[in-house]
Amino acid sequence: MTLALNLDRKAAAAAVVHSHGVPHRRIEEWKYSDLKSALGDQGLGAVTAEWLVGNLPSGVEMFDLAWPNPPAWVMNHFARPTQNVMRAASLALSAGGVALRVPAGAQIADVLKLDFNGPGHVRGLLVLEEGASLTLAEGVGVADFRNVGFEIVLGEGAALEHVRISPEAGDAVLVEEVLLHLAARAHYRGHFAGFGSKLSRMELEVSLEGEGAQAHLSGVSVLDGKRHSDVTTHVIHRVVNTNSTQLFKHVAGGSARAVYQGKVTVAKGADGSDSSQTAKALLLGEAAEADLKPELEIFADDVKCAHGAAVGDLDAESLFYLRARGIPESQARGLLLQAFLEDAVAEIVHTDQRELVRTELLTALKAVA
Amino acid sequence: MLEIKNLHVAVDGKEILKGLNLSIGAGEVHAIMGPNGSGKSTLSYVLAGRAGYDITQGSIAYNGEDLAALAPEERAAKGVFLAMQYPVEIPGVTTMTFLKTALNSQRRARGESDIDAVGVLKLVRAKAKTLNVSEEMLKRALNVGFSGGEKKRLEILQMAIFEPKLAILDETDSGLDIDALRLVAEGVNALRDPSRAMLVITHYQRLLDYIVPDRIHVLAKGRIVAEGGKELALELEAKGYEHIVGQAA
Repeated sequence: MTLALNLDRKAAAAAVVHSHGVPHRRIEEWKYSDLKSALGDQGLGAVTAEWLVGNLPSGVEMFDLAWPNPPAWVMNHFARPTQNVMRAASLALSAGGVALRVPAGAQIADVLKLDFNGPGHVRGLLVLEEGASLTLAEGVGVADFRNVGFEIVLGEGAALEHVRISPEAGDAVLVEEVLLHLAARAHYRGHFAGFGSKLSRMELEVSLEGEGAQAHLSGVSVLDGKRHSDVTTHVIHRVVNTNSTQLFKHVAGGSARAVYQGKVTVAKGADGSDSSQTAKALLLGEAAEADLKPELEIFADDVKCAHGAAVGDLDAESLFYLRARGIPESQARGLLLQAFLEDAVAEIVHTDQRELVRTELLTALKAVA
Repeated sequence: MLEIKNLHVAVDGKEILKGLNLSIGAGEVHAIMGPNGSGKSTLSYVLAGRAGYDITQGSIAYNGEDLAALAPEERAAKGVFLAMQYPVEIPGVTTMTFLKTALNSQRRARGESDIDAVGVLKLVRAKAKTLNVSEEMLKRALNVGFSGGEKKRLEILQMAIFEPKLAILDETDSGLDIDALRLVAEGVNALRDPSRAMLVITHYQRLLDYIVPDRIHVLAKGRIVAEGGKELALELEAKGYEHIVGQAA
């Protein structure tokens, strides 16, 4: 991008931030995650957060967004105009980030590890060109406040598996907006494991723009104490024969709060779209809370959309059955919680990443069960 | 081994068992027969320690120990096993994982060492074969999608693996066709042992053709109203519960 283009986009983003201000609970989409009150006097600030690529697999190209003279693939995709305040803030209030590209047809076997660290705002861009494939492991470092604006572009027939683990992070306020564009037959699989913090929010906007594009979103959260975890998704079926699934499972103890807001939009003419949405929560504490809000917005005629949400407690009969066979109560509870989360974890295809999430869950469940 | 004296049990404040007496010695097989609503399942649940079944009077001594003071898992570790009428389906836990966890939990509680995964697999396979429990069933989630017969066979398989001292079989015959019933009964009979007591709870005489008890007790309205040898089952079958219950009242 030329300097002028960069400045133009930044200026537009800054205008969005100024006109909307910091989101708070009286704004519908932020009802369950009051960012303004969580940030208090510190506000959004204008610090640039850090990023770290753990190991750059050969075949993957990297560009530091703070460098001059970005290549064409960055210029073409970076920082598309947005009305999303926090995504705009990640551009307007930061001076950098990372861009990654997998060239057409490249099948990358090694996992790409990308961490965001430290306080402030930062941008990410990942482009998979036509027919490319990659597994991305995103790490989340603890910081007082961080806002990540991440754009992912999948070309025709590209395939990405994205696994993000957000560790238990005490008083941290962590916000991330992922925006995905999928061309025809592109395949995205995203899993989001969260262990909560003072305020944790993962926003996903998925735009299915080519026939045959598919997005499979899943996630688990295990929250103890006063932790909060919010997954907010918006999947847009823009064209015919596109497919999306969502499966999110939450376990909340103490006075923790699990939030899932999921909207599926089927645009006019996007016939043959198929979408499903399931969100379930188990509450282990009297003061624990789950806010599950699946939503459908359909403008096409011939579509298949299913959605459901359920909040409950551990099944007393199952617990008795396991105990009557000799399994001590706390272990039986742990086993049932693991079982509850299992189908969402099983959505992760990459074996090592799936085992990593399972291990993290076991540790967290021991504390909360 | 099991000594129940004047047992009164209430569920949600309603008295279901009203002064039940029962004594079973090692090596004996007793049957409890009774019409619907007589308190048969309540008895089985109170023996296994299910929450919500309150003992308001009387006592249950198991090998001289107060059974009511023990948690369900402690009872299991000490050798009490209840084969349930409706085994629970637990998605997300494979049958094999469940068997291994349960077996080693019981062993640990008794101060015995764990059996490793390979050892458990060998043990389970050896016993599963005679009960016609397939390898594929062991890989599936516990009881999920199992037929009635498969669920009951898995209950008896557990009994064979855990080797309890006191086995209670709650309506193990319900929902089984004659072939499945025979298979399950053979499994139970193979576990008859001078050191093991069994309590077979059933509505119908049919099961007792295959598992022949030493003693039969008739339960009605929360009490034992008649007792006798195995021939009592035939009398019940011929004359119906009304006859015997009416006589006792």
